[in-house]
Parts: sequence; structure tokens; C-alpha cells
Amino acid sequence: MTLSRIGATTLAQMKMMFRRRIVLFWSLVFPIILMALLGLLFGRSIDAGTITVIDASHTPASTAMVHALSTTKGVTVKTDQTDVTHARKQVQDGDRDALVVLTKTPTGATAAHLYYSNASATQAGIIRGIVSGASSRISVAATGTRPAIVFSQQSVDSASLNYIDFLLPGILALAIMISAVIGLSTVLVTWRKQGVLRRLKLTPMPLWEFLVARVAASLTLALLQVAVLITFGALVFGVSISPTAWAAIPVALVGALCFLVMGFTVGSLVAEPETADAVTNVITNPMMFLSGTFYPVAAMPAFVQTIAKVLPLYYMTNALRDTIVRDRGLMYVMPDIGVLLAVTAVLAIVSLRTFRWE
Amino acid sequence: MVAIQVDNLTKRYGEHVAVDGISFQVEQGEAFGILGPNGAGKTTTLEMIEGLRKPDSGQVHVLGKPVWPDPRSVQSLIGVQLQSTTLFDRLTSRELLELFARFYNRTDGAERAQVVLEQVGLVSKADAYADDMSGGQQQRLAIALALVHDPDVVFLDEPTTGLDPQARRNLWDVIRAIHADGGKTVVLTTHYLEEAETLCDRVAIMDESRVIALDTPAGLIASLGAEVRISYTEGGEERVAYAHDAQGAVLETLEAARQRGAQIDGLSVRGPSLEDVFLKLTGREFRE
Repeated sequence: MTLSRIGATTLAQMKMMFRRRIVLFWSLVFPIILMALLGLLFGRSIDAGTITVIDASHTPASTAMVHALSTTKGVTVKTDQTDVTHARKQVQDGDRDALVVLTKTPTGATAAHLYYSNASATQAGIIRGIVSGASSRISVAATGTRPAIVFSQQSVDSASLNYIDFLLPGILALAIMISAVIGLSTVLVTWRKQGVLRRLKLTPMPLWEFLVARVAASLTLALLQVAVLITFGALVFGVSISPTAWAAIPVALVGALCFLVMGFTVGSLVAEPETADAVTNVITNPMMFLSGTFYPVAAMPAFVQTIAKVLPLYYMTNALRDTIVRDRGLMYVMPDIGVLLAVTAVLAIVSLRTFRWE
Repeated sequence: MVAIQVDNLTKRYGEHVAVDGISFQVEQGEAFGILGPNGAGKTTTLEMIEGLRKPDSGQVHVLGKPVWPDPRSVQSLIGVQLQSTTLFDRLTSRELLELFARFYNRTDGAERAQVVLEQVGLVSKADAYADDMSGGQQQRLAIALALVHDPDVVFLDEPTTGLDPQARRNLWDVIRAIHADGGKTVVLTTHYLEEAETLCDRVAIMDESRVIALDTPAGLIASLGAEVRISYTEGGEERVAYAHDAQGAVLETLEAARQRGAQIDGLSVRGPSLEDVFLKLTGREFRE
């Protein structure tokens, strides 16, 4: 009896949701527009460009570094320069994209100094990622603790993916996050303020049932987003979808649940719909820029990478990218799913303690 | 049989006593009105009976069942129209009614929706969204939602507040039909004297958190001990007098004024109303 009641309530929630054109626009149309725009702006592939390398130390480490950079896909290494000042000017003028100078420190270690242009933030970030990746890989290899192959895999990957391939899972994660957070925060606050929850309290239906129905409707929307964006990406933008893409379904569901609970937490803490909107923006905007949605986190400065690792969107984006375009299955993204579930549990505890119906 | 038994009900908000130890009974099948000015404690009283607001002391029974501590035991027996409920947007009247029927685990939602839509005269708006309807239509929908699970007792909290006179009269017909044809017990609050007088079998007059009088409208008016109310203006001041003998009282009033050499305007003679009862009980004019 209760189950059929939840079913009927879920259906009603879906009607309420899908009959609002604005919801459909933000959850389905806008992500496609964004993907098209960014795809046009930043071209089809991430190309790190041409890097000048001046090896002034000639140690085994510096030789290994030059080799590592030369074999990185998407990077062209030139060793035709010797004058640092001139090579720097080339970067400044845009003739080259970056300059790496390898010198010997007084302690005998090798120092790599990177000069890059900020003309293209994306490109600068990728170069930073590649160079810092290569150098840390060599340090690890030098101390003999791990095989160098661990890192090279990652850095080659982010550089060789077509940008639109890279972008699709990021936009999908973003769209699911925004729909889910807003789908429960603003709505909950509005219901409370308008007395809808109070009216429902007079019926024998427990209010949690009403919320479960809302969550079920929102998860349906998330599945629809997965289907529409992947189909659109594949057919219109020519994204090559991995055979493991089915694993994006559980990832999307867990991610949506996490952000629904986040929206519920916001809805529990604030009283006015306008405040809920503002708080939602404060939460989602930084996440959008720091979680590798548009731009690989690996290519960001170290402190940004540290921040990214506490953001749930980072894990959802990673897991969606792994499953949809990187050929990785469900088992591979289990750690990401685990993090999302843990965040969900923590937020659920917080929100249930602060929640009020009136 | 007693539909509602209210014993010594009290509710405080901090220092302010919103409802101060009130008691009354409502019989089954009765149309019962709680009349009073704004802030008298009507809505708080109603919400304690409905199970929305927990009383500080006292007890309420609905059809013999205690409402507190667990209001769920009376939920399916009562239907409630709250003072202001904005309902979900993007659901039609019919969908909302079927959904609410489902909340009560009824499987005959479609038939029930049709029945109550007819009852409140909203069939033409069955497939309209609530936000596309007029205030009066929204209020009818709220009443239909209170009726959809066929409860024995219906609570209407200021059902006609904010409606224009025409819409108010239309709604009165709806409420009369629920009570007379449907045989339901109806409890309504109002700050319209005329509404209480025309709709209710018995009226409790509330003022400053207490029930100050309770009787049939006719009984309350009879308690004034006067058959007529004479009012007039003298020197810009309104005067009211109550009397048994209309003709004698009017002549007396005019004669007295003539002897004083005073000018009387706007002389009117009519039967007394609940307004006069309130004036007599509180010494204040009733302000709607």
C-alpha cells in the first residue's frame, strides 16, 4: 500500500518537475549549449604546444627529464636554444609555448625551472601538469621506490584526450550537481514557507515519503541527463564513448544522491528561498571551477589540487570521465563512489539534525 | 453524539497567552462557528484540535479519540482547509485531488476527485493549475482537498477571507451544501459576523483568548433582551439604543431630541445582530 503511494507521489513529483520548462532548460538544454560553446572555443584537442628545453646541468636526471618530455604525447620539445634570455623572449612573444631550464643546484640535485605564458590558461595548466609530472616521476624513479610508469599514464591521458571527450563527462557531472542541489534546496524552502509541508502533515502520509518521492523523481532526471548528454555527445560532437560507459549510471545515481542530500542540508539550514539560491551558488560555483569540469585538475597548481580533493564534484567528474571516455569499469571507480557515499552519509546526519518542517 | 470535545485548552507563546483555558463541545452534524476579531485565538484553537499545534494543557477529543499526544489517530477522520495554503504549482486540480486521495490510501481517487469537484463547483477547472485560478477558485480547491477522503469532520479556517462579496456568497453555498447535504460536522472560524450568523448552527464568540459566549445565533441575539436596535447620529456622534417596542422607542427618541432642540440624522431601526452581542459583551465595536 505504502509502496504504491510512494509510486503515485513520485509520479506527481515528476510532473511537477518536468512541467517546469526552466528545469528542463537548466538540466538538459544548457549543458548542451555549454558543451557546444566550449568545444568551439577551445578546439577539438588539448595540445600542450612547443616547449624549449635548455639542459644546463647534464646529469642523468636532467637527461631523463628531457627524454620524458620528448616522449609525452601532445608536446613538441625543442633543444635548439642555449641562451635563457632569448628563449624566454620567445615564450613572451608567443613563438614558443614554454621554456624549461634544467640546472644543477649547489647540493648536486637537478632543478627544473618552468617559464610559461598565461596567454592561454588551459595550455599553461597542461604544460605545468606535464612538466611537474615528469619531474616528480623522475624523482620517484631516482629514489627507486616505484616504477616510473605510474605517472606517465596519467599525464599522457589528459593530454591526448580530445577536449570535447574530456569536456562531456565534466559537463554531465556539473549538470547533475546543479539540478540535484537546486532540486531539493530551493524547493524544500519554498514548500516550507508556503505551508505545503504543514498541509501535508495533516494527511496520514509520513513526510519522509514525500521526500523519498522527490529524490526518486530527481534521480530519474539524473538518468535522463546521462542518456541525453551521452547520446548528444556521441552523435553531434563525435565523442568516442567507451564500452564501460554503462558504469556511468551507478556513478551518476550516487553522485546525484550526494548532491540531493547537499541540497537538503541547505534547505534545512535556511528559511528564505532567495537565501537558498544564494547559498547554493556559493557552494556550486567554486566546485564547478575547481573539480576538473572544464580543465584537468592534474594541470592545476598544487594547492588547487589539494582543494579539489575535498570536493565531491571532483570524484564524480573523475568517475564519470573514467567510465564514459577512459574505458574504465565500475571496479576502477569504486573508490570515487565510496567517497561520494561517505560525503552523502555525513551530510545526511547534519541535515537530519537541523531539519524542521515549519 | 459528540463530534468534538474541547476541555480547558491552553496555549502560550512566551508571555502571551494565545488560548486561555477554553472548553466547548461540538455535536455531530453541527455547523459550528468560532467568531472573533483578528488575534482572538481562533486559528490557534482550530490548529490544536486539528493536531497541528500542541496545546500546553487541556485535551481535545475528536469522535471520542484523543488528538494528543498522537494526532495521527484522528487524521483520516478530519479534513482541513488551512488559512493559507499555496499548493504545488504544475499539478492540475484533478491531479492534486487524486494525489491527496492516495495520501489517505484510497484507491478510488478518480471518482472521489470528480465527486468533490462537483461538490465545490470546480468541474470546469478540473484540468487547470492552481496558480491559474482566481482566489475564490483556489479556496474551493482547498476545500475540495479537505473533502476528498470523505472525512466526518471538516475544519475551515477563515474560508472566505480575502474574497470579494460575490465569491464569498458562492462559497457560503458550497459550505451549506457540505453541511446540509453531506451531513458532515463543519467547524469554521471567521471574523465576519454575517458569515457566522448565516452559516452556523451555533457560534462561540472568542475575544482575547477566551470564549465569551456560546449559543445559537438567535440565542445570542435574544440574550440582549431587546427586539430592536435603534441607531442615529446626533451632533456627529453615533448613538445606539436597544428596546423591546420599536414604535414606542422610536417616538420616544424623536420626542426627546425635539425637546432638547437637537438635530438627529441617519435614524435606523433594525433587529439586533451578533455585532450588538459583541458590543454588549466587550464594550468594544467589532472590527472585521
